[in-house]
Amino acid sequence: MPNSNGRMATQDAMNPKDVRHRRTSRSRCAPLYAGLTQVAQVAKVAAVTTGVSAGRRGRRGAPPPFDAAFVARWLQGSAAEIAAHRDFLTQLDAAIGDADHGVNMDRGFAAVASVVAAADGLSPGELLVQAGATLVLRVGGAAGPLYGSALREAGRSLGTASTFGLPELTGALDAALAGIVKLGAAEEGDKTIVDAWMPALQALRDARSAGAAAALHAARIAAEGGAAATTPMEARKGRASYLGARSVGHQDPGAASTSLLFGALERAAADAPPDG
Amino acid sequence: MGEGRDPTIQSVDRAARILKALAAGSPRLGVSELAERLGLAKTTVHGLLRTLERQDLVEQDPETGKYRLGPELLQLGNAFLDHHELRGRSLVWADTLAERVGEAVRVGVLYGRSVLVVHHVFRPDDSVQILEVGASVPWHASALGKVHAAFLPSDRRRTLVSGPLQRLTGRTIVDPHALALALEDVAAAGFATEAHEAVIGEGEVAAAVFDHRGHPVGAIGVVGPVERLLPGGPPAELVIALTDTARRLSWEMGARRGRPGSVGHPAPRASVGG
Repeated sequence: MPNSNGRMATQDAMNPKDVRHRRTSRSRCAPLYAGLTQVAQVAKVAAVTTGVSAGRRGRRGAPPPFDAAFVARWLQGSAAEIAAHRDFLTQLDAAIGDADHGVNMDRGFAAVASVVAAADGLSPGELLVQAGATLVLRVGGAAGPLYGSALREAGRSLGTASTFGLPELTGALDAALAGIVKLGAAEEGDKTIVDAWMPALQALRDARSAGAAAALHAARIAAEGGAAATTPMEARKGRASYLGARSVGHQDPGAASTSLLFGALERAAADAPPDG
Repeated sequence: MGEGRDPTIQSVDRAARILKALAAGSPRLGVSELAERLGLAKTTVHGLLRTLERQDLVEQDPETGKYRLGPELLQLGNAFLDHHELRGRSLVWADTLAERVGEAVRVGVLYGRSVLVVHHVFRPDDSVQILEVGASVPWHASALGKVHAAFLPSDRRRTLVSGPLQRLTGRTIVDPHALALALEDVAAAGFATEAHEAVIGEGEVAAAVFDHRGHPVGAIGVVGPVERLLPGGPPAELVIALTDTARRLSWEMGARRGRPGSVGHPAPRASVGG
């Protein structure tokens, strides 16, 4: 450990100036996509076993209104995805951070999953606010405050309504992004969560006339594309803002976890239980 | 001469700008790219690069013909650190402080508008951490920078406060008036804090180190997760351990005991957030 004599020689060894390029980003992303099918199963099981009431769904053919059970499926599904990609997220974080993004997010979302399982009678918005507060408390590093305020802002924008549609969901995701930007002061291209969240939101808006399922599918694809596109970027936020170019060649772990959340969102809409 | 009183030697200035261009972002640059960036003729840049190459300050990639920084710079950087008096004297004190409070410790010096981290002791656990020696943090986003600045003469403090204040996070203080007030608080308390201002999730508590004239020569600080380091306000034990270390380090740097401006035992403020 370079404690008392950790000079620049050590720093240099940790400084991969011989950056890796786009070519390798595909293989680096592979683990992210490989586990998806399996994760979808886990998410489904998690949603079924939460005990949260399925709520009402719109008439067949009509756009399904989203409800507390949908939000619960989203959060449980996110927890399952993050658990499955914990090591991948941690690996990404090792390039520039403390290599704790995966572990922190897993701990935080596991806590969110149990909060969701225990919550009863909360509106979708209230559920999100509670999940956000849990993340702030349980996730260390930058991810806790950022994702925590995102979910809290999303919840606030939904208010106490018991059901909501795609426009309100879009508004909530917009409020979440505003919360992230307010705290982090990041812009597109800074190699942060924003680089996955912003294109996902844009895709969601562009595809809104195609229906919820198609719009959320487009959002997930755009989030994954946005996350992958952070690989050649130089990070300009966090420690990277004063440590320099060593982040180039690695996907941003925050953008990667955001794409997982949008994956869980798509499946939460697709996995609505059949009408009872 | 004809150039007035400026004693600068143009070619040395240009060589320095080449090195800085190679250090800023793009790891490899060709002669044309460098010429364009610096607004110089290609032949001039070529001559400068060949001279720097002879001194191992730059090297040429044999495949692409582009230039990158050379190995001699590492020797120079290490020599800078080895000869840095505050760094040398802080090695043992920083280790002891890190052990005592169980967190990472950094020693920094204000150069221009940034704090240069000259020493960094990892948090004494087995977690992965990144060495920040050599990092340059905007002074107003760092507790090290704020506490160093708080004890500077008022004219230098004013220049710092009124200069460009980059926003690193949504919590960075970028309003000159608010920053000036914050520095007054820091001077009164004898230590500075920072929460989420440079990196979301991270915080720092720092105290200044003084020389024999009572001038600040740098600062020593404890860094860690905000929720642990600054739950409301900094824990009293942490502030006592930190200011105690800063005072002893100041004595080693020649500060006279009990001299005004040197760090005394400030009463840690009660929880600021509560």
